[in-house]
Amino acid sequence: MAIADIRTQFTADLASVCTDADQKALRDQYLGRKGGAVAGLMKALGAASPDQRPALGQQINELKQHIETTLDQRLASLSSARRPAGAVDVTLPGRVPAIGRLHPLTQLRSRIEAVFARQGYEILDGPETEDDWHNFEALNMPPEHPARDMQDTLYLSGPWDRPARPVGAVRGGGPSGPRVSGADVPHPATLLRTHTSSMQIRYMESHEPPVRVIAPGRVYRRDNLDLTHTPMFQQVEGLVVGEGVTMADLKGTIIGFLRELFVPDIPVVFRPSFFPYTEPSADVFIGCQRCKGAGCSMCKRTGFIEVLGCGMVHPAVFEAVGYDATHVTGFAFGVGIERLALLMHGVEDIRLFYENDLRFLEQFPL
Amino acid sequence: MKVLVSWLRELVDVPVTPEVLANDLHMAGFEVASVDPQPPSQPPDAVIDFEITANRPDCLSMIGLAREVATKYGTTLRAPRGADLGPADASRLDPLTVTIENPTGCPRYCAAIADVTVGPSPAWLVDRLTAAGIRSISNIVDITNYVLLELGHPLHAFDLDTLAGSALHIRSARAGETLTTLDGQKRALLPEMLVIADRDRAQALAGIMGGGHSEVSAATTTIAIESAWFEPTSIRKTSKRLGLSTEASHRFERGADVAAAGEALARACGLIEQIGGGTVRRGWIDACASVPAPRVVRLAYARVGAVLGADVHVDDIRRILTGLGFVLAGEAVDHTLASVPSWRVDVSRDVDLIEEVARHYGYDRLPATFPALAQVPPRPDARLEQDGELRRLATAAGFSECVTFSFISEKSAREFAPADELVAITNPLSELFAVLRPSLLPGLVDAVAHNRRHGQRDVRLFELGTRFLRGTGESRTLSLAWSGAATSEHWSGRARPADLFDLVGVVDVLGRAMGLTLQVQASVRPWLTPGRTAEVHAVDAGGGARLLGVAGHVQASLTTARDIPAHDDVLVAELDLNAVSDLVTMLGVASAHPLPRFPSIVRDLSILVDESLLAAQVRGTIQAAAPVTLVRVAVFDRYQGKGIVEGKVSVSYRLTFQALDRTLTDAEADAAMATIVDALTKAHGAVRR
Ligand SMILES: [Zn+2]
Repeated sequence: MAIADIRTQFTADLASVCTDADQKALRDQYLGRKGGAVAGLMKALGAASPDQRPALGQQINELKQHIETTLDQRLASLSSARRPAGAVDVTLPGRVPAIGRLHPLTQLRSRIEAVFARQGYEILDGPETEDDWHNFEALNMPPEHPARDMQDTLYLSGPWDRPARPVGAVRGGGPSGPRVSGADVPHPATLLRTHTSSMQIRYMESHEPPVRVIAPGRVYRRDNLDLTHTPMFQQVEGLVVGEGVTMADLKGTIIGFLRELFVPDIPVVFRPSFFPYTEPSADVFIGCQRCKGAGCSMCKRTGFIEVLGCGMVHPAVFEAVGYDATHVTGFAFGVGIERLALLMHGVEDIRLFYENDLRFLEQFPL
Repeated sequence: MKVLVSWLRELVDVPVTPEVLANDLHMAGFEVASVDPQPPSQPPDAVIDFEITANRPDCLSMIGLAREVATKYGTTLRAPRGADLGPADASRLDPLTVTIENPTGCPRYCAAIADVTVGPSPAWLVDRLTAAGIRSISNIVDITNYVLLELGHPLHAFDLDTLAGSALHIRSARAGETLTTLDGQKRALLPEMLVIADRDRAQALAGIMGGGHSEVSAATTTIAIESAWFEPTSIRKTSKRLGLSTEASHRFERGADVAAAGEALARACGLIEQIGGGTVRRGWIDACASVPAPRVVRLAYARVGAVLGADVHVDDIRRILTGLGFVLAGEAVDHTLASVPSWRVDVSRDVDLIEEVARHYGYDRLPATFPALAQVPPRPDARLEQDGELRRLATAAGFSECVTFSFISEKSAREFAPADELVAITNPLSELFAVLRPSLLPGLVDAVAHNRRHGQRDVRLFELGTRFLRGTGESRTLSLAWSGAATSEHWSGRARPADLFDLVGVVDVLGRAMGLTLQVQASVRPWLTPGRTAEVHAVDAGGGARLLGVAGHVQASLTTARDIPAHDDVLVAELDLNAVSDLVTMLGVASAHPLPRFPSIVRDLSILVDESLLAAQVRGTIQAAAPVTLVRVAVFDRYQGKGIVEGKVSVSYRLTFQALDRTLTDAEADAAMATIVDALTKAHGAVRR
């Protein structure tokens, strides 16, 4: 047989090698000292003419080497495919323990709480149904105040004497409870709070300054459900009161907060605004993260997006809770959690947050 | 407020382009809604639409914004000139008489008379009104609107010949009185509404809209022009009551400038003559019950820095306030007495002045600092910390968190709570949001249905939030819903459907996490399937049981009504965290016990009992009969079927005995077992197998 034919035949025979024994038999067939194909060629070499002998010898050598390396490779691959007793396919999927997600609004709220907790803010919880005093009047919005129109209110049918409970921690081992005389008179709830600012009043009524609190929670407005509005959303209210608290402190606090929440170099702009319970008041804008300030549909082509309202606590608010407005100053801010969540996650329809579709919830981290 | 920049330039020098102007005023507190370029001109023109906040009615006018511009750029303000009307009379200008019958509602009422030829307005007037978004009607009406835009003071023109007795009475509406307003609506008036009436009847709704009868028409030859000031609350109430808001009511209810009434009247009269619309008669009426003296506000300069945290120079403070029209008296080094201009109804305290300073100084120039921390901050409200832990545990048990609305439809609410426990909303926008939720379950079951509709078979959801019941008020509630498999899908075998015991197990874990000892007993709730409803109680310090919540299968009628297939069970649990808040030890410090040093003895016990006998009863009997060395009772098998008599069940218990102070002997365990079996036989007729 010609050298080339032997090579072809070897390749064909190799394909049917499945076991170690097959491999050994094939080695004997081609490389065996007696009767092996290569040995046969070597014999024939002696019969070749002297001038052909060197070239032919080289070809036979090459064939021998080819068969040897190919068989060695085959042996290696055969032994690696061998399964020890009790072996399993480790690439099959594991049993995943059922694990749920925290709602993205909860995740964001926790992040916000953590930022302020590190800065020494007490975190408060309070009632969602409110009375007119805590939601409006004490916040410098007497009846018929035009600013009440800014927040269309949902009212309860019939006042509701829900049990009151103390707000915030007791300080210095002293007794908890009303600090302002008259604050202990129960105000029956008549409405759903339109902002968490009501918590400012509740806290100051029962605590002396200095004050450093945030109050996260649900708030309610008489709004229709659409892409950007809901009749219910979550806010985080912040309040800092003490001697020497300034608007510069407010700026630093808000800038620090937004940089931590978004990116460290985010542009933050304060613009004069109006809220009845702060003076001076400001709206705060951040540079649009989608267009980096160039202008896009999300920022209405301004390059900036409004994210929160804030200001210096109005002296009338201090007077309502019995603080001495000539001695203390303070700032307050209110952040809408949904609004931030829309911006941070690039969600365009706020309703997704309330549909509770697992396909949506599972897009957020475990 | 739409501002045509070329018109503004008439009142003040504007040294910048409209775009820069828009941005500068935006940053001074006048939010820009849009900038509309006008046809090319030199200097360039545009219409800037400003959103004016509720505290700044003075800037619902060109002159108000011009004042801001003058202060911003240090340029000069040019107030428009009016006609010289001559001397004023308190009530009479022949043939017109003015009588203020309600001085609270109307402290000042000015009027003048002009003989006019009603016709179209000149083009410049039409153009300016159009730019501001107001339609041209006739030269006389247009002039009243022009002055409203220019000076911010609403005016009204009556056809004098239509006024019975040539009289104007400013009075409260009479019972049963009606008025057909300019928009053609016949309106029923109430006594708290203020009207302008002639001798016989109401002719205008004060400060809101005129009446059709005395409207200026093409046939009008003599007009009475009204320039008055109305009390804001009264205008606001009437406007809301009638659902009628106009350019005039918008300004009056926020507070117009009481001192500007005469000035606005003179300006209107001047314009009538200027455009050839007629001749103004000499003299005018100024019926004025009282015009308050200007408020004086003391501003200590140091207070500016104390509030703003910035070093604003006294010269800057004085320049800004003077520019805005405040008259500063007193040359003291540390303070000034600022006389508040009549148009600044929003300024009454020093912080109001500080805001003016800050607006024009620039918020961007304030430094950014941090408030000093004066004391160790207290821990967050324990309830909030517990909420966080419970949320984490629920997710670890496979449940994803929902946020559902706090208000639901009355129908859903009634399905999950007694009707007398519901708190309704008076003015809901939709009947889907009509009642405060008495339970979180309606929202959760809806969420299960939503997911089921979108192809999710295995759904585990929870929510932690407030529920509202008349009896107990607001309570923090943790609710869970589970539908589908108990285990995740895997190639190694079929998933087992979740049952009530899966959910009760999760409830047990949550209860233990809170440090509660739970007891479960059979119960009934209208929204849960009978026989598959459990009440969960927490054991209190005195050994009593306090209701924590329920767990069970939702009635099939409720789930199928939400398009959940009939064969899909929905398991739910709802726990009232407020009910046990005093028992919760979560996040407290636990004290540790040493581990037992002596081995325990384990004995199995199989008994045959009636199938109706509750597991809790058997457990109770075992625990009561056993010595203190019984440390654990576990059910490890429960069997009915082949070899067991009909109506009976075989239950196997694994009992663990252990003593802390010695190694128990087999004899002791045998004795304990005998006592237990004896007790079970006596109490339940149990037979040991
Ligand atoms: Zn953008």
